[in-house]
Amino acid sequence: MSEPIAAKVLSLNNVEVVYDHVSLAIKGVSIDVPVGGMVALLGANGSGKSTTLKSISGLLAAERGEVRRGEVQFLGRSIGGLMPQDRVKLGIAHVLEGRRVFEHLTPDENLIAASAVRSRNDMARNKDRVYSYFPRLHERRTVASGYLSGGEQQMLAIGRALMTQPKLLMLDEPSLGLAPFLVAEIFQILSRINREEGLSVLLVEQNAIAALEIVSHGYLIESGRIVMHDAADALKRNPDIQEFYLGGTDNKNFRDIKHYRRRKRWLT
Amino acid sequence: MLFRQAGIFHTDYAADRALFPIPADRWMIVILLVLALAAPLYMNTLYLSSYMLPWLVWTAAALGLNLILGWAGQFHLGYAAVMGIGAYSAVHAQRAGIPWEIAIVLAGLMAAAIGSVFAFAALRVKGLYLALSTLALQFVMDWTISHVPAISGGTQATLQAPDIRLLGWPVTSDAGLFYVALVWCILVTTFMLNLRRTALGRALVAVREKDYAAAVIGVNSFYFKLVAFATSSFIAGVSGAVLIGTFYHAVTPEQFSVDISIQALAMVIVGGLGSIIGSYFGAAFILLMPGLMNAFISWLAAQFGFSLGIETLAHLPHALYGALIIGFLLIEPLGLGKIYGNIRDYLLVWPFGYVKK
Repeated sequence: MSEPIAAKVLSLNNVEVVYDHVSLAIKGVSIDVPVGGMVALLGANGSGKSTTLKSISGLLAAERGEVRRGEVQFLGRSIGGLMPQDRVKLGIAHVLEGRRVFEHLTPDENLIAASAVRSRNDMARNKDRVYSYFPRLHERRTVASGYLSGGEQQMLAIGRALMTQPKLLMLDEPSLGLAPFLVAEIFQILSRINREEGLSVLLVEQNAIAALEIVSHGYLIESGRIVMHDAADALKRNPDIQEFYLGGTDNKNFRDIKHYRRRKRWLT
Repeated sequence: MLFRQAGIFHTDYAADRALFPIPADRWMIVILLVLALAAPLYMNTLYLSSYMLPWLVWTAAALGLNLILGWAGQFHLGYAAVMGIGAYSAVHAQRAGIPWEIAIVLAGLMAAAIGSVFAFAALRVKGLYLALSTLALQFVMDWTISHVPAISGGTQATLQAPDIRLLGWPVTSDAGLFYVALVWCILVTTFMLNLRRTALGRALVAVREKDYAAAVIGVNSFYFKLVAFATSSFIAGVSGAVLIGTFYHAVTPEQFSVDISIQALAMVIVGGLGSIIGSYFGAAFILLMPGLMNAFISWLAAQFGFSLGIETLAHLPHALYGALIIGFLLIEPLGLGKIYGNIRDYLLVWPFGYVKK
């Protein structure tokens, strides 16, 4: 389906995650993110998108999950045994679902807090860079972050991730609860960062229409398995994807859609 | 394996909502009940009255603390004081000629009344502040009991508890006292097992998880916290009364001091917050482990012929006991009950490694 990729920043190989010793979340997930590439991971609720991201950033332990099988490789190196903070030092940044800004700190302080793993000299430069991408944050930099709007908090969460000078930026549903025009704005900025700095991006989204506009490749995850992956354009043209994730085709009875949906499953 | 789920089909709601839907659990409960009922037949009186009996009463008490700590998620550092209120109320009621079975109910009601009046004030604060104000309850009760002669019978005094009479029959044999403790423990366990299937139990868990989220679905969090305090105080009061009636036979303020509160807390935390079987394990661990450790070290010393100083012999078991608590909590932060749960889960899905959610 997809052409062989030369340099990979991230490669998941048959990763299997089990929560609380007994409950399987994802099984046999393999994902490649090329250097400087922008890849989307699409799927319905509970299909294992966030678990996949957590297996990369190392946040599973906090939720009693563990990678049972498979390997997570970052820049050709297996990072399975590393703590989350050490993975950040290698260059993995995870923008959590639901933003999670430090509410009692101002945006400025949030950004400073995020530069702990980089040298002090880089801080001012990184901050300028974040403020140039998100001018709105600069205007609001002295307000407690808890008082920012949802969109501003999302920008702050992305900015905070950028402060760690990542090589791979992972975003977990950045469009969650945002107005469509804000989603468009944030996605434009993301694609600009990707273009200008060559930063690799792994984007987890429910909003498939918006996501497929900016990525080059897409993976489709269903019930913990990758069921399809292809170039974004090919995915957009795929009739199944159109029907299940892009809002359906015209003049089709809703009763038929439900019926069809229950029957049709991709082979793994 | 043991707890196989395959082939178990529930054909009506009653079967599906049963307390123990899996036959292996039911069999285990039946076997344990038979073993407990027959305990006086095969256990010598020393083990029966100085290990089994306090273990059962303390398990009931730990379950009461688990209600407030594990279910409702509220700190309580003055639990022993509430047990003390119950113990003193029961003894005084008995000395006034009230039959024991009514006296222990009065003891529970007294503890619930004082506990909830106190909770009214304490529940205005949350988290660590609440922990500190419940600690205040402990100190206030300690002081009141030991400084009001009408309650304690004078400073440094020990108040003798009259013998138990149930429906006019005196209960003095070891087996009889054991059965009293067993019945109380089973009653509390049944109540707690059923609690999670009731509206009250769900409301308590909702309040624990996020009290403002509970508020926006119409659950009055203050009211349910208060109910949790009252219920757990009732269990504490009766447990205190049963502990005096069946085990200590006399009541002094030291039996319900602050370190006993900490011990009760340790039972719940070592056993596992919100875990019923964990309360059994936790109470057993905290009560019996020091003695077992002592015996074990003396045995080791005798076996290998090295002599231990009296100081070392006194402190070594405590050090090992502390290390064991830390060890178990490192293996499984959710307590002994969760270790049991993990083993059970493993057997449930055996020979597979996991289930698909």
